[in-house]
Amino acid sequence: MTDLLPELSRLGDTIERAAAAQVAGRSRARRHTPRKLLLAVAVALVAIPGLAYAASTLISNDEVAAGLPAGTKMLQGTEPRCTVVRQGVEYHCVLSRLPADPEVADLKGTVEPTVDATKHVNGGCRSLTSDGRVWQCYIGQAAVAEKIIGPDFLGEYSPTPGVG
Amino acid sequence: MTTDAQLLAAAQTDAHAFREIYDRYAEAIHRFHLSRTRVLDAALDLTAETFAQAWLSRARFKDVADGSAAPWLFAIARHVLVASVRQQRLEQSARERLGILTAVDRRETAAEPSELWLEGLDEAFAGLSPEVRETIRLRVVDDLSFDDVADLMGTSPGAARVRVHRGLAALRNRLLQTKEATR
Repeated sequence: MTDLLPELSRLGDTIERAAAAQVAGRSRARRHTPRKLLLAVAVALVAIPGLAYAASTLISNDEVAAGLPAGTKMLQGTEPRCTVVRQGVEYHCVLSRLPADPEVADLKGTVEPTVDATKHVNGGCRSLTSDGRVWQCYIGQAAVAEKIIGPDFLGEYSPTPGVG
Repeated sequence: MTTDAQLLAAAQTDAHAFREIYDRYAEAIHRFHLSRTRVLDAALDLTAETFAQAWLSRARFKDVADGSAAPWLFAIARHVLVASVRQQRLEQSARERLGILTAVDRRETAAEPSELWLEGLDEAFAGLSPEVRETIRLRVVDDLSFDDVADLMGTSPGAARVRVHRGLAALRNRLLQTKEATR
């Protein structure tokens, strides 16, 4: 433990408390995932091995576009339009309106999750521009491979758009 | 000793691990902001914002400096400073999201961001050779793999890795020297 200035030490306590509260909140949200839903998904995946892949290949451009604001609060109201790069894997999305309240001044390289209509994380996007207008999005495991989201986050229940 | 990268990996689910990162760098980041603003409270606010942003974006940390989080944290600090000057008010979005904007027990900061805060800020980076600057930019800013960086720079992936590592180390030394000089 280093000897910090008292103000810095107090600030550290404050940040640690807020961070711990956020971690605890996320854990609670995870526990609230309906067991029945998890069981049904597990059964379906065992019964139909190609389901996950089939589901991803059937995703439409509009569904990818809807996933951006569903996953990230900052992108609400931006009306993304997406075009397919690799069907079911990679999409190129352009926002009709810039984020009104960007979380960081330079959005280039920023990564955000996408959330499907059932409110589960189904992929993620990376901003290609500093103003956040152009995003490259990846669905399913492709988003994990691109290191946009972690493997544990894919499929997580996400009832509200996230921040940060 | 546990590396910063290991602590940040643990910090995905452990606030205490992030506290250890804070304890390692809070003073250096505070000195960086103080050397720019010369206002104690503003420096404290910007330090809080820097670490709040670091916490919120910890999943995006990439270990490009042999386990050290220093380049990443100073890049966030620099961004917070620049954003504050651009907005003409201290950046506070991450503190708001973390709910700690009013949690720090002291008076509100009255300092107004000034262009002077940015004077000489990029000199350290500009002091690196063009090749090293470009290699760091491709790897850290454009987030390319070392293979892609090597292709673009006409070198081997190993040489690109060494160039980035040495460049970041040089940058860190230059920033530390600047800080010492402004003390």
